[in-house]
Amino acid sequence: MAQKKDVWQGTLALMVLKTLGTLGPLHGYGIARRIEQTSGDLLAVNYGTLYPALLKLEQEGYISSEWGVSDNNRKAKYYKLTRAGKKQLEREAHEWEQTTAIVARFLAPGEEVS
Amino acid sequence: MRRLRAFTLRVAGLFAKSRRDRELAAELDGHLQMHIEDNLRSGMSAHEARRQALLKLGGVEPTKEIYRERRGLPLLETMLQDLRYATRTLRKNPGFTLIAVLTLALGIGANTAIFSMVNALLLHPYNFPDLDRLVRVWENRGIDEGADARFIAPQDAADLLSGAPVLDELTTYKCGDFNLSAEGNVQPALGCHVSANFFDVLGVGPALGRAFSASEEQPGADKVAVVSYGFWQRRFAGDAGLLGKTIQMNGRKYTVVGIMPRGFDYPVPMELWVPLGLNPAEKTDRAKLSLQSLGRLKPGVSVAQAQSAADSVSRRLQQEYPATNANRRTEVLQLRRELYLYTLPLFLLLQVAAVFVLLLACANLANLLFARIFGRQKEIAVRIALGAGRWRLARLFVTETLLLSCIAGSVAVAASFWSVNVLRTSIAPSWTMWVPGWDGIQVDRTVLGFTVLLIAIVGLLFGLGTVLHSGQAQPYTTLKEAGRGPMLGSKGRLRSALVVAQVMFALVLLVCAGFTTQAFLRLVDVYQGFQAANVLRTEIRLPEKPYPENSQVASFYDRVLRGSASLPGASAATLVTNSPASNVDNETTFFAINGRPTVKATEAPSADLQISSPDYFSVLRIPLVAGRAYSYADNANAARVAVISRSMAARYWPEGDELGQQIKLGAADSKEPWITVVGVVEDVRQNWWNPTSRPTIYEPFFQAPQRSMVFLMRVASNPTGYLSGIRDVVRGIDDQIALTGVDTLETEITDSIAIIRIMGVLMALFGCVALALSSVGVYSVLAEGVSRRIPEIGVRLALGAEPRDVMKLVLGQAIKLTGIGLAIGVPIAFAVNRAMSTLIFGIVSINLLLLAGFTLLLLLVALAAAYIPARRAMRVDPMVALRYE
Repeated sequence: MAQKKDVWQGTLALMVLKTLGTLGPLHGYGIARRIEQTSGDLLAVNYGTLYPALLKLEQEGYISSEWGVSDNNRKAKYYKLTRAGKKQLEREAHEWEQTTAIVARFLAPGEEVS
Repeated sequence: MRRLRAFTLRVAGLFAKSRRDRELAAELDGHLQMHIEDNLRSGMSAHEARRQALLKLGGVEPTKEIYRERRGLPLLETMLQDLRYATRTLRKNPGFTLIAVLTLALGIGANTAIFSMVNALLLHPYNFPDLDRLVRVWENRGIDEGADARFIAPQDAADLLSGAPVLDELTTYKCGDFNLSAEGNVQPALGCHVSANFFDVLGVGPALGRAFSASEEQPGADKVAVVSYGFWQRRFAGDAGLLGKTIQMNGRKYTVVGIMPRGFDYPVPMELWVPLGLNPAEKTDRAKLSLQSLGRLKPGVSVAQAQSAADSVSRRLQQEYPATNANRRTEVLQLRRELYLYTLPLFLLLQVAAVFVLLLACANLANLLFARIFGRQKEIAVRIALGAGRWRLARLFVTETLLLSCIAGSVAVAASFWSVNVLRTSIAPSWTMWVPGWDGIQVDRTVLGFTVLLIAIVGLLFGLGTVLHSGQAQPYTTLKEAGRGPMLGSKGRLRSALVVAQVMFALVLLVCAGFTTQAFLRLVDVYQGFQAANVLRTEIRLPEKPYPENSQVASFYDRVLRGSASLPGASAATLVTNSPASNVDNETTFFAINGRPTVKATEAPSADLQISSPDYFSVLRIPLVAGRAYSYADNANAARVAVISRSMAARYWPEGDELGQQIKLGAADSKEPWITVVGVVEDVRQNWWNPTSRPTIYEPFFQAPQRSMVFLMRVASNPTGYLSGIRDVVRGIDDQIALTGVDTLETEITDSIAIIRIMGVLMALFGCVALALSSVGVYSVLAEGVSRRIPEIGVRLALGAEPRDVMKLVLGQAIKLTGIGLAIGVPIAFAVNRAMSTLIFGIVSINLLLLAGFTLLLLLVALAAAYIPARRAMRVDPMVALRYE
């Protein structure tokens, strides 16, 4: 069985924001599934990382939550982006792209050696 | 902003926990169910679907734990938890808590009260702006002038101001009694003649009306007065129309032009101020030091700079006017410091005592906490064994000690306010009205804050100490050893050292408190050489107006003496310029001895001068040593005579040939008459601050009459009953003369040492506190140690030891430790005593009886501390004791 990677907090927050930004209001399970699917099942999201991250984002005002009913008639808490959350998503996505671009540039010549 | 929002929400997260917990559980459960459903859909069996979902998601409980930490503020939550635990622990040990809190409250309360008092009196005796720039300036003629003889010649004062650029302004004044006539009655009033800039220099102006103008300093234009708030309220019931009205004093009419604000009382609680009004001759006088003066330094000028500037002016005046100014030196002293020149060492002593008490309180707290650390080894070991981290433990114990400090701190704050209040109000206003700044005594916040902080630091250190100490111990060995007697090994030695230190510290403090209290009590007993019982005193001041000539003054007082002598029960009456215990020094004078020329003026002998009417020595029962006292026959027509004091005779006529010698007041070549010494009397201590009696010359009043005299009368009993009689006698002679300062001489003596008595009482109080604190300290440390040996004692008894032997063992150890403490403490006590007696006058050497008493007392406390728990241990069933093992 392939070793799945745990996600670390900073990137998880970005992924959560992006997921909500793309799919609209979603419950925790939906968010977890979406992240795992998007990663091609390379990432594993468990309670211990997801729910504290959601709580943190909510406390910071980037997302809000309310209780609703899921597709199969189950009571679930739905999270959605706030206006501040949308801005934060843009900002974080932009920063992330910059960072990866820089790191990629550093790693580029190393590929020849390895 | 985001952080703030998150923080606020997290604080909110501390509340309504159970609802939030339920919501999270529901959310997680929903998540799990959805996962299971998806797994089922992908074809797993029900059991497998659930298993896979649970595996994937990780534990529910750890998640909840992490979530909770994120939701609230874990630090705050554990703090609250610690606080609850600490409260429980303290409540479970009420004895420990009570002792710790009381100890600290006493220490802090006493300190705050004393430091607040001293700060208020020493730093802010007056409410003047820029108080530190105000200086008293006076001239010293090269003889011991005495404390109150701080006078300056008018022209010298003027030269000083123009010649010393360090001074902004200089004002001069002269105080005395006024006879105030109101509606046919004459009442005494305290007043000052001041130059026009007096109020400007002090920086305080009238609350109503105006101060004096420069033109009102001219003789003739000086019939204006500024009155005090108290005068206005008392004598005119706060009449708003007082300004512009006239009042009659000393036979002159003065127009009231200003009323000073409440609390203005310089130089002493005054009732009115009038212009100085010197005529040109008086203004340019250099011969007589007749005025007091007060200067305001230029900003940034130090007292030392002012002193050196004044010195150079003095030197110039010495050269230019050798006839009057030879040996005259101008002195500059900060006004703030003038008041407490004599009492400063006493204040310092009190502060030292207060610090000692605080140290003792801290030491007690340290001992108590230490004892508890030992007592909780097992608990700490259990906590470590159960996985408590070092940091978590530290927080727990620090919280506990901080809570203790907080409780003690708040009790101490209350105690401080209470004690300062008691200190300020419990002393009669008649004493404290002469203590500038007394009304301003209030809790000094800096001091209070400092002491509370100190206590908090002590608490913190010991909380941390507990943890550090526990850090050394391996939980396993501690658990195995716990409950066994800790008398062996390093811990036992540490405990022994604690007992020794506590005993030593207690002894040193007790002895210090003992000898300082003794010193204060001895100061109270300073007045010697006369008998004050059954003597009535009052002051009489004759104005110049109706009594311009000496002969008129003499005949007035002659009638007063004759009139009072005829009162039934009066045995004798007399007059003197300065009665003992007046808190005013005698006038000092140079004199010359006939046939013993002095080369330089600086070498001229000097002595105190007292002028008294004939019966002075018999009224005060001052013993005659040789020759005769003067009588009514020694009047203006007879040859001039004088009586001298024993110490004066001993200093200038060591061969004992003083009788019949001739002296002259002033220089030998002056026009003063020669005076023959006819008698020698015993020395009299004039004021408590004079370390010894000073050489004194007594001149007969009727050969040298003075306007202001103290009237003394010895009666058979109940001196105050003669008051109205004396009043009638004086009124019968002149109904415009008021009596001031009417009291018994005994009351006068009591009042004169009021501040010393207050300090003596405080010192004795400190001694008691120290005694209580050290007894509690020694007892608690020893008793705790013995209690911990109860299992050991049980084992010994179970193995067949005689109870007597065991008791002997326990008591022996207590005595040994106490003995070592005492042996170290006694030499330290002697050393401290020696150091203090060189610093502070009046400190007596150690009273051996006192020392022995305190030593015995501490030994008894130690024995009791060992005996009581040991006895309890004897009664314990050996089986029970053994079960603890």
